[in-house]
Amino acid sequence: MTDDSGVLSIDFIVGFTIFLIAFIWVLSMIPGLLIGLQAYTIDYDAVAYRTGVMLVEDPGEQVVAYPYYPWQSYGDLEKEKVIRFGLAVSRDTPNILSQDKVNRFFCVTISDPDAGFGYPKDYKDRLIFGDYRFNISLLDKGQTLSAGDVLPVNMSYGNIRRIVKIKSNSNATIDYPYMANHSYIDNVDNVSTHVFSIHINNSKLLGEVIDPAYQIDPSREQMTINITDLEQLQPGVTVNLTAIKICTIVKNPPSATCSPLTSNNSYPYVDGSDTRIPMPATVNENISLRFDTQYFNDRISAGAGDIFIVIKFDLSESRPQFLNNTQVLPDFNNMDAETTFFNPRTGIANPNSTPFDYNYHPDNVTQPLLRDAILEVAVW
Amino acid sequence: MARLNDDAQWIILMGFIVSFSFFFLALVINQSTIVGQTTAESVIEFPKNDIRDVRDAIGKSMKISSGSEYVRSDIRNISMIRKSAVVSYANSSTTNPSIIWIHYNNGVTEYNETWTKF
Amino acid sequence: MVKNDGGQLYTIEGFAAALIMIITAYLVVNATSVYTAGDTHINDMQLEALGSDALRVMDIPVSKDEHSMLQTIIEDNDIGVNNLTFGTTFSSLINNQTESGRDHIQFTTNVSYYNITKGSVDSYLLNYTRNLRGGEHSVRATKWVIVNKELPGDGVTGPLNRAVLVEVLLWRD
Repeated sequence: MTDDSGVLSIDFIVGFTIFLIAFIWVLSMIPGLLIGLQAYTIDYDAVAYRTGVMLVEDPGEQVVAYPYYPWQSYGDLEKEKVIRFGLAVSRDTPNILSQDKVNRFFCVTISDPDAGFGYPKDYKDRLIFGDYRFNISLLDKGQTLSAGDVLPVNMSYGNIRRIVKIKSNSNATIDYPYMANHSYIDNVDNVSTHVFSIHINNSKLLGEVIDPAYQIDPSREQMTINITDLEQLQPGVTVNLTAIKICTIVKNPPSATCSPLTSNNSYPYVDGSDTRIPMPATVNENISLRFDTQYFNDRISAGAGDIFIVIKFDLSESRPQFLNNTQVLPDFNNMDAETTFFNPRTGIANPNSTPFDYNYHPDNVTQPLLRDAILEVAVW
Repeated sequence: MARLNDDAQWIILMGFIVSFSFFFLALVINQSTIVGQTTAESVIEFPKNDIRDVRDAIGKSMKISSGSEYVRSDIRNISMIRKSAVVSYANSSTTNPSIIWIHYNNGVTEYNETWTKF
Repeated sequence: MVKNDGGQLYTIEGFAAALIMIITAYLVVNATSVYTAGDTHINDMQLEALGSDALRVMDIPVSKDEHSMLQTIIEDNDIGVNNLTFGTTFSSLINNQTESGRDHIQFTTNVSYYNITKGSVDSYLLNYTRNLRGGEHSVRATKWVIVNKELPGDGVTGPLNRAVLVEVLLWRD
């Protein structure tokens, strides 16, 4: 007969209570077992490592379309053409960074002073590829360049440190000692118009040195040409920088064209000015020519193997000794590159024109040098 | 004799069930820690720097004028003993390398490359 | 009077079950450990990247037509001599940080070469900051260097073009 009186013995209650207490206590120990497991923690160090590799070992990527400018030459308005950031000179030179790319990435000095990449969206779309906060710092020549947030003090963050070399840009300085060693100031033509030309032989530059770490490549790296000590050359004479022309000579099919410099991005800096000065301009001491890489890129992509920068100075008085190294034929306004410099069909050069050669000789051009730097990436 | 009173057996049974499930849970957790590989481990495992380094060394050795056979045996032997990797390379001409074949195998990663210009 | 102790059964069973569960829980919690394997590998990866980078940067010539610093160090250094140039250059490369302060990474460097006469690979010490103590976990970074040097066992007088392997063991203090 079933016992449905509802009466429980004391012993039963005691025993069951002991069991229950032990059971609950054991259950509460289970979370302790699971401490060792964590589902889906974000591995910030992996993101930092990936970002470091992209910056240091990859040259970056831009839209593949004619005229194939490198990503660092695109200005603010064309930011969308940059697909991915990368600071390496080329894919074959990991750990060697390009000065132009570093400048553009950290927005320190660029052709257009208004351009820059917006934080944080532009960087997240092109480098971080995720919704993380980041800080990228580069210690170079004792200065630290930085992009991103300030490093957190109380939180742990993923980070990586890479050691790199930065390839500086080449530049040429034509100063009084240089001019004195060359025949420019011995030119006895007593004229008031002096024409100085600079020869950039692109095919020779790319052919003589193949290693991208040491190569001068006008279509990818900014070149600077400084002409200084003009006051010392001709004291007391007012020098007018009247015009600059760019002549390109294509060997195949043979053609030669000269066009005046009219682009706002290519005017020279005069006497240490902060902005580009349109011509004509009065020059007292020096001129600095810094061409947009896109400018050269356009011409080189069109097949130009030789580019001449032709500068016309007008002096207030006729003087024999100044910067005259070009015999302009027939005259400056209708300058014909074939007769002034050389004929691409025959290869015959004008012996009266001896343009300054931008080449690998250290006396002419300060070569690209590699210097040590440290890059750190932090992600949190 | 009277039957053993086994009314309260169910309490012991509950106790045993809890114990066994506890053991099972511990086993599963223990096994889960062995599975998987962190990103850092896979970065270390892939010999990116080794392969790049060997390629650069082989390229430099192609440019030196004499003694490239010493370099070849150096790379082969030192790779085997110190890096536990098989490295072998050949070029189609000894004076003007036009094609270079590179083979690398460290037991986990195998890499083959053919260069037509260095 | 007969003592009614039939209910003691429940108490005893309750005790026994509780005891079983508690002993099991104790055994299990002691057996499983908190696994933090990921941490050591992250540090290893960072050190290996640093060491490889520093060796690569030391093996890049500053300008074309020059020898790299690493090649010059190995060629000019007599075997067995502690090379301080390597030590200071390598130490400053890996310990400099973008924020102020220096890192504390120690290292010891060996150069391995192939001894043709013996038919085996030997190595000599190039530089070390301090000895590796037992229990310290280190990471190895290597670099191939092509040098023009006379190495033991090559059977020829005068320098030859050889390949040597520079191996650096790195660890954090």
